[in-house]
Amino acid sequence: QSLPRGVGPEFAKFYESKAPTFKCIGNPSIVIKSSQINDNSCDCPDGSDEPGTAACAYIDPLSPEQPLPGSATGTTNTTSALPGFWCANEGHIGSYVPFMYVNDGVCDYDLCCDGSEEFAHVGGVKCENRCKAIGKEYRRIEEERKKSKERSAESRRALLRDSAELRRKVESRISELRQEINNLEVKKVDLQRKFEEVERSERGKVVKDEGQGGKLGVLLSQAKARVKELRDTLDKVLDQRDDLQDRVDKLEDILSKFKEEYNPNFNDEGVKAAVKSWEDYSASNTGAKDDIADADIMKVLEEDGPSSGVNWAEFAEGDGSDADIVYNLEAYLPSFVRDFVHEKLNQARVWMIENGILADNPKTGQESLLVKAAREALDAARNDFSSKTSQLEEQEKDLEKDYGPDDIFRALKGRCISSDVGEYEYELCWIDRTMQKSKKGHGNTNMGNFVRIDREYADEEERVDGKSLGKGERLVLRYDNGQGCWNGPNRRTDVWLACAEKDELWKVSESEKCVYRMEVGTPAACEDLHEPGVRTKDEL
Amino acid sequence: VKEHDFKKCDQSGFCKRNRAFADNALQSNSWQSPYNLLPETKSFKDGQLQATILKTINANGDAVKLPITVSFLESGTARVTIDEEKRQKGEIELRHDSKARKERYNEAEQWVIVGGLTLDKGAKVASEDKKQITVQYGPSSKFEAVIKFSPFSIDFKRDGASQIKFNDRGLLNMEHWRPKIEPKQEEKKEGDEGEEKKEEEQKVEAPKGEDESTWWEETFGSNTDSKPRGPESVALDIEFVGYEHVFGIPSHAGPLSLKQTRGGEGNYQEPYRMYNADVFEYILDSPMTLYGSIPFMQAHRKDSSVGVFWLNAAETWVDITKGKDSKNPLALGVLSKTTTTTHWISESGLLDVFVFLGPRPQDITSKYAELTGTSAMPQEFSIGYHQCRWNYVSDEDVKDVDRKMDKFKIPYDVIWLDIEYTDEKKYFTWDSHTFPDPVGMGKHLDAHGRKLVTIIDPHIKNVDNYHVSSELKSKDHAVHNKEGSIFEGWCWPGSSNWIDAFSPAAREWWASLFKYSAFKGTLENTWVWNDMNEPSVFNGPETTMPKDNLHHGGWEHRDVHNLNGMTFHNATHHALKSRKPGELRRPFVLTRAFFAGSQRVGAMWTGDNQAAWDHLEASIPMVLSQGIAGYPFSGADVGGFFGNPDKELLTRWYQAGAFYPFFRGHAHIDARRREPYLAGEPYTPIITAALRLRYALLPSWYTAFYQAHADGSPIIKPMFYTHPGEEGGLEIDDQFFVGNTGLLARPVTKEGQNSVDIWIPDDEVYYDYFTYNLIPTTKGKKVTLDAPLDKIPLLMQGGHIFARRDRPRRSSALMKWDDYTLVVAVSKDGKSAEGDLYVDDGDSFDFEKGQYIRRKFVMEGSTISSVDAEGRDTKGVKEGEWMKKMRGVSVDKIMVVGAPSSWANKKEVSVESEGKSWSVEVEYSPAAKGRAAFAVIKKVGARIGADWKIVA
Repeated sequence: QSLPRGVGPEFAKFYESKAPTFKCIGNPSIVIKSSQINDNSCDCPDGSDEPGTAACAYIDPLSPEQPLPGSATGTTNTTSALPGFWCANEGHIGSYVPFMYVNDGVCDYDLCCDGSEEFAHVGGVKCENRCKAIGKEYRRIEEERKKSKERSAESRRALLRDSAELRRKVESRISELRQEINNLEVKKVDLQRKFEEVERSERGKVVKDEGQGGKLGVLLSQAKARVKELRDTLDKVLDQRDDLQDRVDKLEDILSKFKEEYNPNFNDEGVKAAVKSWEDYSASNTGAKDDIADADIMKVLEEDGPSSGVNWAEFAEGDGSDADIVYNLEAYLPSFVRDFVHEKLNQARVWMIENGILADNPKTGQESLLVKAAREALDAARNDFSSKTSQLEEQEKDLEKDYGPDDIFRALKGRCISSDVGEYEYELCWIDRTMQKSKKGHGNTNMGNFVRIDREYADEEERVDGKSLGKGERLVLRYDNGQGCWNGPNRRTDVWLACAEKDELWKVSESEKCVYRMEVGTPAACEDLHEPGVRTKDEL
Repeated sequence: VKEHDFKKCDQSGFCKRNRAFADNALQSNSWQSPYNLLPETKSFKDGQLQATILKTINANGDAVKLPITVSFLESGTARVTIDEEKRQKGEIELRHDSKARKERYNEAEQWVIVGGLTLDKGAKVASEDKKQITVQYGPSSKFEAVIKFSPFSIDFKRDGASQIKFNDRGLLNMEHWRPKIEPKQEEKKEGDEGEEKKEEEQKVEAPKGEDESTWWEETFGSNTDSKPRGPESVALDIEFVGYEHVFGIPSHAGPLSLKQTRGGEGNYQEPYRMYNADVFEYILDSPMTLYGSIPFMQAHRKDSSVGVFWLNAAETWVDITKGKDSKNPLALGVLSKTTTTTHWISESGLLDVFVFLGPRPQDITSKYAELTGTSAMPQEFSIGYHQCRWNYVSDEDVKDVDRKMDKFKIPYDVIWLDIEYTDEKKYFTWDSHTFPDPVGMGKHLDAHGRKLVTIIDPHIKNVDNYHVSSELKSKDHAVHNKEGSIFEGWCWPGSSNWIDAFSPAAREWWASLFKYSAFKGTLENTWVWNDMNEPSVFNGPETTMPKDNLHHGGWEHRDVHNLNGMTFHNATHHALKSRKPGELRRPFVLTRAFFAGSQRVGAMWTGDNQAAWDHLEASIPMVLSQGIAGYPFSGADVGGFFGNPDKELLTRWYQAGAFYPFFRGHAHIDARRREPYLAGEPYTPIITAALRLRYALLPSWYTAFYQAHADGSPIIKPMFYTHPGEEGGLEIDDQFFVGNTGLLARPVTKEGQNSVDIWIPDDEVYYDYFTYNLIPTTKGKKVTLDAPLDKIPLLMQGGHIFARRDRPRRSSALMKWDDYTLVVAVSKDGKSAEGDLYVDDGDSFDFEKGQYIRRKFVMEGSTISSVDAEGRDTKGVKEGEWMKKMRGVSVDKIMVVGAPSSWANKKEVSVESEGKSWSVEVEYSPAAKGRAAFAVIKKVGARIGADWKIVA
């Protein structure tokens, strides 16, 4: 064929073999001799006279700018008319090689299996044509990939079925919950009504507390209980304080030693900053606050009695209330009369309260069993209601949550995969967290908690075993806010997903401190084969 | 920096004593130096004067003998060496049963000096009387040394005028040996007689409060120096008569023109210190010591340079003062001129000073280079871009970075591994989890001509089951402590021992460790980085070794401290020459610590800087200073080691770094990733363009490296160096010329800066490098140049021709066979320019056998020609393999910037070469909108190695 070297099929029309002259593609007003095509010296300001050499490779915005008369910008900061050196790769797939790779003495077989980009044999390099073998291997791998892709797609469909089933379960749970909530709503109203009835009928009743009577008595018993409770709590807090103080002392001790003995030449910014913070901390700590004397606390902790604290007994024998008087009177009556009187009194009392004659004076402390039962029934119904409501909310939220395309990660939720890397085992729990587990027994470290699903462009080498992200848009699961680093940010992990037949954690790397990257194969990341967008050679 | 971790002068006994000595002398009207040369002891023969100086040590007139030798060398350099007889003869007693040597350290010369010591037979005594002797020497006998006897002093003159004076102020001080006088009650065992005598001595020994407190031992921090030889410092005042500026004595983070050090506004309070140290987070604008030292100083005034080289490897301090009032009026001129006086103070060793009388800066650098050697010819890849980080975490990570650089079309040559690649900081091993396949990694890099540099430090982990450690100890190749057993200290691996590279046997053993068969996983594209060789000892005094440690030959560490880094660097350099029988390639070894002479064995960098604008700014005078002191293969960590540079800073740093002779991006382990491709738009493309600019100019950089190798020239040159007659430029240290290219760079070093002022040293024309715009310049004035983020302020000075390779490639190795572009920046006369090019295989030593191309390009009127720069008949050179391949490499284009208008109508020019002639097309673009006219001579087609001539 008579096309100049390096011309791709779509540009053939510009390079007529017999013509004595050549018009630069992007600047047809510039006409050069045909002999200047591929003469290894750049003549056209768009580089079109050198389709087969690297001579025009400097026409590129990435190169230092130089004046270039005739180019669109007047400088080399412009774009070449040609995409690269066309390597036909017969027996395989033709492709463009960047001009800067042409005649540099390296056989770029991954782009140019026929070796034609090293035609000048600079420095003695000879690139044999390997297209036959490379093409064959490529087709074998493609075939393998295709099969693998089908298997992966099958796995994905299974996952989809699981997800759909899980989703259906959630949905049915939601409708169940809605029904239950409706029922509870009715029940709740009913119980509310009942409770009010009972409470009303009981309102007039006055229940005498054993041994003690009246609202003051109730107050007293409550206060006493409360004080005891507070005292117990104080006691516990005090114990805790002492424990913590011990720990602070120990830590301060460690830190002072650390400050004295650390070596500033280990060039560890973390250590340095920690020492600085410690110095600041100990400096700010010198101004002593008003300490509560332990003796004061011990005084408070003493049991109440005549000589200390509150003398409850004094209060217990206070004045009776109006109700007490009634009850005192009652005590002298025979029992049947007493019941009668009691009944009548109650009725009168209710009447008086309802008619505003007597103040409503409900007992906050003690209530009758009847009222209590009614209230408890109502409370139970209310609790049930709110718990069901929040369950419903949870389920509804879950339904709306992003589980990735086609809800696919719903099926994986709760499952974990892991991989051994050096002295650690790394674990990924889907939609949950990532973890670093020390094999030397240094404990586990949370590397991040699931936040969201993003998409990013991956650009990795394809691997024969398929365990690579490859090139193209990929799902990335973000796990943030893991365990804090020494004087640094919290750990985080980006989990990059690529299609594979089974879930597998291929690679974990920490390219900078506390920022991790996992590369993971999973059928969940496979494309739906029914959709377009199957990877092609163009993406390579 | 933890300032209290490093000594101030008054915490360093000998510095404090000598400063006090100076104060005492300078404040007294009646001060007389107690050093007198005995005329009757002197002899002069074959350019060498020998005599004895008597130092009077007490009022009784007791004196000690100090033999002096003044050597006049063929190069015109003079050398003054003073020793001490008692120590020389070993007639002293060491305390604490020390095993140290008794002499003053006299082997620095063996490490540092490689030539230039031939005596000047033409040197002659011009006159002589009872007071002084005058020796004429040097080229055309224009130099004179006037040696006064009493008190002893020397006045070095050029053309009859004083330039440099020794002991003019009487600060010469050689602390002679004396026994320690213990307090009387402890003197029980001595006989009565001796006791009395000593008591007597003591009285006269320390007249009116001489500070004895630091004579016998010194404590700093938690470390006590046992000082078995007592006080032994050497000091001297060296006056540069009529010189306002002094440069040199790197490495310090301050201006190129050194500041005064005795206080006063804008001055330092402390002397410049040279005591190689691992200074954590060093501060800027400070005379504090850093990682390496070169005790070489150059003084400059309009049209004259002189210099001194203080050959002493012990801790050294230099005080600098300047004044208009000189005791001795200048021989010439009525105007009062500033004189700079320096006071050099070293802890031990000989007093050994070389004196250079110029007059041009080039004379000083070349004479200094004659003595200490020049930069080794570098591996060509090593002047490309180096990508480093503490740490690339795995072999996969390395391969990934490599692929990403290709993907973003960013050229680079070398990727580096810091300490984490090792198995628990054991050098010569690999972490098997993270670097399971170093060979695969190395081969991956080699596929595109790239290299790997791994770090190897001098501290060897002190642990069982590590063959390097067990061999180091069993063969006794380690540095010893003061008791004579193997010294143990702390560094990265924890408990460690240090190789003693002063020992020939230790060096031989060291070399054996680097053999490909021994250091498994290394390939022919693996090279080495020597860090921590000050040496850095985490638990040592000032983060280094105790001074009373002992080295090979019984020398105390105090004697050799500043040499230590160089001996280790040197050991590695030589080790890399013997990795495989029959392989002889130029080693590449980067060092942090250095001394005079280190330039012979590899590159250095300025240590652990910070990701801050002021550190970027400071890097330029630091690198310039290295060049002035004969060690031009230097650079600062691009991006700043500690911290995280913002993207603007990172971009500007790459633009500046593209002009460091050593160009490496580096980052601390806690810093975020910052490989150039991570910066994103618009930063990554701008950084890429800066890197590609470096790569396009590699032929010119390599030529500048060759110049440095040939004669010790700096690679980037400050204004005082290129224009020594322009007073306005003497202090400028933020702009520089690249080699002999006429390229004048002024990197942007301030945040948000969009323009820079460039000082113009002459009335040549200046073109903008990127646009060919003619810059409206005035000699001695500053011109303002726009410098938006994507622009590097870079001018082309008229009158130069320089070579480029314009095709972007992935690495320098892949540019080897590309054609050249020549750029002619036409001089203001519109018709002349000159330039040169040096090319060789960039790897072997075949260039020493004539296997190189060295061209001189000349434009004269309407012709441009290329001839062999040495006038060789290149046909006579038998071509080796590389030369044969270079036959295929030609001149592609010639860009004639500022082309004369007579070219406007030319369509073609004729080329003659190798007996043929042909015509080639010319494209002329007339001047327009501030841009100069330029012509492109297309496809010249003549071989780069051949003579050719173009006639327009």
